[in-house]
Amino acid sequence: MALRRHGLEHRAFLYSGVENFLSTTVPFLIKGLEADDAVVAVVRRPNLDALRDVLGSDGDVGFYDSAEFYDHPVRTLKRYLELVDSMRPRRVVALAEPVWHWTDQRQTLEWARYESLINEVFADSGARALCPYDRNGLSSAVLDFARHTHPVLFDGRIDHENDRYMDPQVFGAGCDVGRRFEVRPDTAEYMAFHDEDLHPLRVFVGKHAEAHGLDRQQAQNLVTAANEVAANALQHGVPPMGVWVWRDGDELVCEVGDNGFWQPSPLIGFIPPESARERGFGLWTVRLLVDLMELRAGWDGTFVRLHVSR
Amino acid sequence: MRWASNSSRAAYSGRTRTHVDGHDMEPTWFDKRPVGEVRPGDHAWLAYGTPEERDRVIGAFVADALRTEEKVVYVTDAPPERLPGLTGPRTRLDLCTYTASGQLRVIPRSRACLDGGGRFDPQRMLETLNTEVERAFDEGFRAVRLTTDHSWLMREPGRPDLHRVLGCEHQVGDAVSPSTMAMAICQVDRRLCPPDQLAALRDTHEVLVEVNPEFDDGILRITRTFEPHGLRIEGELDAARHSVFAQQLSLVAHGRRRVHLDFSRLGFIDLGTLNLLAEHATGLDERDALVLDNLPPDVENVIEMVGWHRLPGLARGRSGAADGPFPGPEGVA
Repeated sequence: MALRRHGLEHRAFLYSGVENFLSTTVPFLIKGLEADDAVVAVVRRPNLDALRDVLGSDGDVGFYDSAEFYDHPVRTLKRYLELVDSMRPRRVVALAEPVWHWTDQRQTLEWARYESLINEVFADSGARALCPYDRNGLSSAVLDFARHTHPVLFDGRIDHENDRYMDPQVFGAGCDVGRRFEVRPDTAEYMAFHDEDLHPLRVFVGKHAEAHGLDRQQAQNLVTAANEVAANALQHGVPPMGVWVWRDGDELVCEVGDNGFWQPSPLIGFIPPESARERGFGLWTVRLLVDLMELRAGWDGTFVRLHVSR
Repeated sequence: MRWASNSSRAAYSGRTRTHVDGHDMEPTWFDKRPVGEVRPGDHAWLAYGTPEERDRVIGAFVADALRTEEKVVYVTDAPPERLPGLTGPRTRLDLCTYTASGQLRVIPRSRACLDGGGRFDPQRMLETLNTEVERAFDEGFRAVRLTTDHSWLMREPGRPDLHRVLGCEHQVGDAVSPSTMAMAICQVDRRLCPPDQLAALRDTHEVLVEVNPEFDDGILRITRTFEPHGLRIEGELDAARHSVFAQQLSLVAHGRRRVHLDFSRLGFIDLGTLNLLAEHATGLDERDALVLDNLPPDVENVIEMVGWHRLPGLARGRSGAADGPFPGPEGVA
């Protein structure tokens, strides 16, 4: 097809109601089955039940509930990649409907970024992805994101090349620029670090993670992530350097700051690296380890904020 | 007899071992100690798996004594110049000087522990040790280090009943343990000894001795392992310690095929170390993979999260975290 980019077909479909949803998605999935592709449907309820009723649960379609599959943008992207890799040499045909019920705008932004990254990560996969967006139930901001992150829009009958589509690099940079950092509360506890030995920093973060009630694994993950960001600051940043920890409801927030100005490429740390030897492995793993990692570089320095909810 | 030093120098006072996490080691039946930390009162056990392991432990045990005016009593038929671990480039000691001065006593078995018929005589061994300790005391040494290799007992056609050897060991232990002057290492080649006998012999000792760590800064400790060939990594591995770890890894990997890293007591691993391991393992084929043994759950969790396939050249080894202060089999197969 002329509109396919780099061996990936990534289309958004703005639907109204279940019937409209089924009228497009069922033929899409059946076509995949007929071509002997690996067919998966990651869909929100009640669309999931409706699809199962039509196609049958015991068929060749792999059904997943979006509410479970879309739990964490970086982990979900990794999981998708593993799915696509595990199916090789078969082509993957995916009906992919993310959830957009986040109350926190930061999370919505990260999922929009996720949709954009699909274009980069699966560029050479040969996969076909159709992403249904509920025209009636979703905010105009989310629908705008859909238009920025899918090179092709399907109107239910034909494909349209989408002139509002943005390159993942550009879109990612925009996500970072638009980020609003809430001011650190006065209750934040601070510890400076100066030298390579980050043992005291790990003790400091670990102690707060435990006191906040994070489970052992979450706490250890946060310590590993904070250690990595601090090591990175030591290697590339400018003193003074320090770490702040504070509570925000159920969230524990840990921020590592230095006086440098770090602006990594917008895709660094988002694209799953092929091996631990690759550049970006550390940053990607940090994003994997915590619920959310935010980066802000400005006149006052570089700040990496890690969020973990108990 | 006297098993107490008359030296005023308190060379061993205050040398209590704390573990790398800063807590005192849990008291256990066995205390595992690097050879450099063996002290008076220790009746220690070394079940070595390779000559290199024996040389590294016993060589250090003897050399440390000779350098610090302690006496060494070595029951062996080997001549002084062929004592384990003392002839390599690591230790340049003129052993003849020490034998001449009496600081190094090498006593052949026939005079130390055999009866007229050439059989092992536990009583004679005890008498020899008593005499030597007493003499060391009179000579003014602050401490005396005793050692012998029991492997020949396992090899002899008419080898003595195990109970006689065990009885002897118990009596040596009873004599050494309360001593403020004497310390002993009993050696055996574990390959020559059936597992049950090895365990029984080991159980007559309170201290298990091993090589000195290659590195120990209180946060990270790196110790050579011999069976399997590799390193044991204890404590926390982070950017401040990457270079020393990389150096030790390349030393132990030099000319070898498969290297094992025992992570059973690794409390923290940073992402840079995973990068470092992947760099090291680049180009290794599957048979030569770098094997990670005994991954603790916290460390395994990080690796599982990034995925083993992102660490090409690394293989998951045997599982099971530390079950005490001395991971891995010691004297038991």
